[in-house]
Parts: sequence; C-alpha cells; structure tokens
Amino acid sequence: MFTDQGGLTLENINLNKDEVGVRSTSRKSKLFQSEHRAAFLFIIIPVVGFSLFSIIPGAISIFASLTNWNGLGNMDFVGFSNYTTMFNDTYFWRTLWNTFYLMIGIPIGLVLSFLLAVGLNRRIAGRQVFRVIYYIPVVSSLAAISILWQWAYNGDFGLVNQVLDLFGINGPNWLQNPDTVKPAIIIMSVWKGVGYSMLLYLAAIQSVPRTFYEAAELDGASPLQRFRYITWPMVKPITFFLVITNIIGGSQIFTEINIMTPTGGPMYSSATTVWYLWQQAFSNLRMGYASAIATALGVLIFVITAIQFYINSRSQYKLD
Amino acid sequence: MKKILSTGMLLSALVLAACGNGDSNDTGTNAGSGDAAGGSEDVNLTFMFRGGPDEREIYESVVRQYEEDNPGISVEIIATDPDQYATSLQASISGNDTPDVFFVEQGSVMAYVDNNILLDLTDLIEQSDIDLDNIWEYGIDSYRYDGEVIGEGPIYALPKDVGPFAFGYNKTMFEENGIELPDTDVPYTWDEFVEVGQQLTNGEDQWATGLNVNWSLHAFLWSNGASWLNEDATEVTVNTPEFAEALQFFVDIENEHNLTPSVEQAQTLDTYQRWMNGELAFFPVGPWDMSTFNQLDFEYDLIPWPAGETGESATWIGSLGIGVSQNTAHPEEAFELVKYLSVDPDGQQQLVDGLIQIPNLIDVAEDWASDTESVPNNKQEFLDIVQDYGRALPGAKTYTGQWYDEFFINIQPVLEGDQSVEEYLEEVQPRMQELLDNARQ
Repeated sequence: MFTDQGGLTLENINLNKDEVGVRSTSRKSKLFQSEHRAAFLFIIIPVVGFSLFSIIPGAISIFASLTNWNGLGNMDFVGFSNYTTMFNDTYFWRTLWNTFYLMIGIPIGLVLSFLLAVGLNRRIAGRQVFRVIYYIPVVSSLAAISILWQWAYNGDFGLVNQVLDLFGINGPNWLQNPDTVKPAIIIMSVWKGVGYSMLLYLAAIQSVPRTFYEAAELDGASPLQRFRYITWPMVKPITFFLVITNIIGGSQIFTEINIMTPTGGPMYSSATTVWYLWQQAFSNLRMGYASAIATALGVLIFVITAIQFYINSRSQYKLD
Repeated sequence: MKKILSTGMLLSALVLAACGNGDSNDTGTNAGSGDAAGGSEDVNLTFMFRGGPDEREIYESVVRQYEEDNPGISVEIIATDPDQYATSLQASISGNDTPDVFFVEQGSVMAYVDNNILLDLTDLIEQSDIDLDNIWEYGIDSYRYDGEVIGEGPIYALPKDVGPFAFGYNKTMFEENGIELPDTDVPYTWDEFVEVGQQLTNGEDQWATGLNVNWSLHAFLWSNGASWLNEDATEVTVNTPEFAEALQFFVDIENEHNLTPSVEQAQTLDTYQRWMNGELAFFPVGPWDMSTFNQLDFEYDLIPWPAGETGESATWIGSLGIGVSQNTAHPEEAFELVKYLSVDPDGQQQLVDGLIQIPNLIDVAEDWASDTESVPNNKQEFLDIVQDYGRALPGAKTYTGQWYDEFFINIQPVLEGDQSVEEYLEEVQPRMQELLDNARQ
C-alpha cells in the first residue's frame, strides 16, 4: 500500500518480461486466459449487484426529481420546479447546516482514535481487552445504541446527567434543548466510531518499518520528533481514507436522528438532510421533491470528495 | 472442471452474501398463516396492520377465527410497529405488492383513493348483513370520500376503531384533598378549571395537570369557537382572535397560573409518567389507555373537557380504518375479513374485554358503558364524544398533514413565553396556508 523505498528486489531487475513470462499482462497471451475468465466472473457479480441496486435506482431517482411523483401514483414531468422549491425552502438549508455541523465530530473522532491507537501500541497490560472494549460499539446495532443513548440523555434521570451531578453540574435536557441536541448527537457518534478508526490507525502505526525509528534514533531525534516526523505522516493515507468515508457517511446520517429525536428535534435543530427528505417522501407524499433533495445531496458529496482527492493527489504521502 | 465447480460455488456464496447485506431494521414479522383445511379453492390473503403487543394478539386471534370459519382461506399476517407502518405500507404499494387488507389512516384516505389504491366497498356493504345504523356514524363517514371532501360519497374502508380523546381526573386525589368532584355532565369553565387547579397544585409533587400541546390544544380551541380550517378546508384560520385567546389560555396554564410542572420538569419526561405516579389532577384519557390506567394506584374517571366561550366541550376522535386493495384478486374474501375485524360481535367483545378500544357496534358499546361500577365509571363519556361533541383532527380532512405539522415545529418559544401568541400566529398562518395550497394540488 505504501510506496516502499525499496532495495534490490526481483521486480527492480530489468528483465525482458515477455521472455521470462513472470508478469505477462498482455492480453494476447494465451497463458493466463482461463484465469482471466475466472477473474472476470468474480468481478461481474459485484458489478451487476452495484448496477442493479445502486445505478438503476439512482437513475430513477434523478428522473423522479424532475416530476411531481407522490410515491403512489403517476409521475408527471415538471422540470426543475422541485429544485427551485428546494432552494427557497428554509428547512432544507437548516437541515443542510445541521448535517455539516454534525461533521465536527469527524476531526474530534480522528484525533481521539489516533491517540488511543498510539497508546494501545505500547505493551501495556490488558491491551487486547481494551481493543475489544473500544470495538464493541462499532459492531453494535445502530438502532439499539440510539435507544440506549436516548435514555442516557434523559434530562431527569439519564446516566449522563447523573454523572454530571457527581461533579455538581446540573445537566440540561440534552435532546429537547435546541442548543445541546447537536453536541449530544456528536458525542454519541464519536463514541460509536472511535473503535473503528482506532483499529485502522493501530494497523498503520504497526506497519511503519522499525528501520525508520532506528535511523531517527541514531540521528538523535527525541520521541516527540519521531512521532511528528515519522508516525504522523506515515498514517496520513489512513487519515485521508477515514476523512472521506466519514464525510460520505456523515452526510447521510439518519437512524440516530430518527430514533433519538423523532420529530427532528426542537425547532428542527437536529434534523438532517436525509431525515428531512425521508419526512417529505413518506409523511408528506412528496417523493419527487425528496428525490430532488437526494440528488442535490449526492452531487454535493461527490464534489466534496472530488476536491479531497485532488488535494490528496498533490500530497507526498499518497495511497497507491 | 474442478476449478469451474469451485468458482461456481464461490460465486453463489457471494451472491447470497450480497443479498443478505442490508440494514438490520426489522420492519415486519411474518406470523405463520393457518393451514388451508381442505377445500378446492386455496385463497391466500395478506393482511397488514400495526399495533401494540396486546392489540396484535387480539387481532391475530380474530384472524384465526376467520380462517376457521372459512376453510380454504389462509391469511398471511404482517404486523409492524406503529411508527413504521406508514413507511412499510407505502413501500409495499410502490412495489406493486399492496396487501389485500390493511389499516388505513384517516389522513391517507384522500391520497389513496385518488391514486386508485382502495377498493370501493359500498356495494359489498349493501349486499352484506352489516347494519350501518349500528356502527358509529363518525366511524363510517371518516372513510367516505367523493373525490372532493371526506364525509360524503362511497365508503372506502370500515372503521377499525374510533378513539375519543376524553378528559380524566384523579378521583382519589380529589377525595384526599376534600374537593368536590367534578360534574360528569357539565364541563368546567376555564376560570373554574384554574380555580380548582390552583387548589390542587402545591408546586412540588402535585399539580393540576400537564398537557401536551400536540394533543390537548384542540379541546381548548374548538370549545372557544376557533378552528384550524374554514368550512371547506381551503383556508387556514389560525389567526383569529378566538384562536389566539385559546392558545393564550393554554400557554397561561403553565406560565401564569403555574398549574403544571415547570418547563424543565415537564419537558424531560412525561407528564404521562407523573400522572401515572398520581401527581397530576387532570389528564387526557383515550380508550387505548384504559388497560394501563386501570392498574394504577388511584381511581380515575372521565369528565367533559373544560369549555371556553361556546360553553360546550369539544375534543378530537382518532380513527383507523381497514381497507381493501383495489388490485386484490379476491375482493369478496378480503371484504369478509374486513367485516370480521371491524364489526364481528365476538371480535368486538374481545377487544373491549382487553380494554383496547371502544366497540364499533353501538349496541355492544352501550351495553359496555352501562356498567358504571368498574373503573372508569363514566364510560358513557367516551360514547358522548363519539356521538355528540367530538370531531376529526384537522389533518383528516386534507391531503397531507404537512401544513398542520408546521404549526407545531416552531411553537416551543410561544409555550415558553418567549414569543407572543399573536406574533406567532401572524407568522405561521402564511406558511401553513402555502403548504395547504401545495397539498391540494
């Protein structure tokens, strides 16, 4: 995965590959045809699945966004009126703002999980136990966790406020107060995702070749300098991967909102874009409008991800 | 050869894994269908509904009864949780897999009929032995639709139930505090209500009431002569003086007269829980609450809601209907099932005994209400609401409820006293009107 600085290996020796036949990738060569066929069959399954369940419904959705479909009857073409409605819809902008506000949890989560990974990289007692404990929220059902946290955040007798009481702090009613509902959801999401990021960081840290550290130590680098100049840059590809996937996932956050704040929070303060479009589609029978919102969100995510890829391609430490 | 075989096995394993890769949201449970006991005709019906655990049990036993009485027909039951029902049903309809028999919400009737989803049951009803006079008129009319308004025209569903939203009080608390019990026929005026409430509120563990604006505001509005919509449901009339007065009174109950737990105390949890603990004097009661409330430590009973300017109580009646899909392959059998679930005397008796709802059949209901010994003594109140002073929720008369929901989204500042009632109503009326106009297209 990482570009190795590499010494003298078989791949570097400049042999005539066709003669030796070590890595024949030429299509005309009959030597590996049956394997190519098998490879093709392996690939075709996910591709078919992807087209059937992602591309075709996606295309239908884009088409539906240009109609006034109500989810039950016929689709009547109305052009871009759904999009103009959307731009003028205050709730759309409010929910978009909520969605991006909730992404503050991403850097917090990354920093936290990175520190945890560095910590767990050491040979402390009970390492394995800690890894399991941190990973359990990741594999737990999102719906179950949302219900759990909903009770924990209860203003009267929830666990969170009980703990705050020990410190003499009078906890607010987290999920009913427009000012605290988003931080509450951020805390819950960070808690849930930290195990996953931590594990990835752990793997990355452990894959940094020891030779680098030894060389740095010989040159007299302090632990902090070793961390800053070796560890951190070498895990940048992981950071890149996590940021991208978290942004894509975070912009589609729905289950937590629907369970913890079924009405979108006081004054729609915790409603996200996907939750809003779900409301429009199923409660208000405006499937065409909801498709428009979905398409807009999709385009937005695509643009953001493209920008990130571009920035990354100009960096030194990239994924191959 | 071996390679092809193992590739094939691996591929099929991948396909199966891909199919199973989905969200773990379990939206339905398929209770097994009964055996088709002989008969050359093997009819399969699907019945989709929602309800709490007690309700589901009873409905399933009614379906068993139906299968027993009609050999050759088997019914596949799909039961969902109440909040997932709308989504599941809509998904089935979009997928051309509409269940033969299913629950219909009042607010959805117009949309479903216009999109040819519900079967017109009028002829089937006439040909059957159903006595429409013995069913609550409100229940039947809620599912009449002539293409323009609800309440007139062909019948598209039979009522599953009618749910009058009555007002209850804590009898034990009144007796302990030596206060005269409320009259079960004459409603309190608003001033009397405040007065009695203040006598019972001590601010610490006992209050007059704790009302949720989403459900209780209507009683105050309507009995003050205000309404959400005009006569033909084309205009939103929330910015009238009567409406403002009623909303102001509602806000004052909490802020001025301090008859309810404070904002912090009430928002966190339920005034519902406080009522169950015996801390509140008054609380709304629906038929669905009876089974829970009957087991509480105190005795409760029903009274008419406090009345405003008009001097008469008013409240809303909820309802769910049972309809038949227009595309069903077996309309008569499906209708038979609907009949069973809606008006079969044994089924109704079971539901009443389980304290789930009031019966749909008027004679069964009156018989039940004549029992004034068991709690609540004044069951007649439920019947009065259905026959006299109850009316439908505003959302039932319009295409979608979006304009109605808009009212409640930003109402919090008004309830807390941060925004004036008049200001809010002026602000929200145009938005609601716009949504209503959109919905009517």
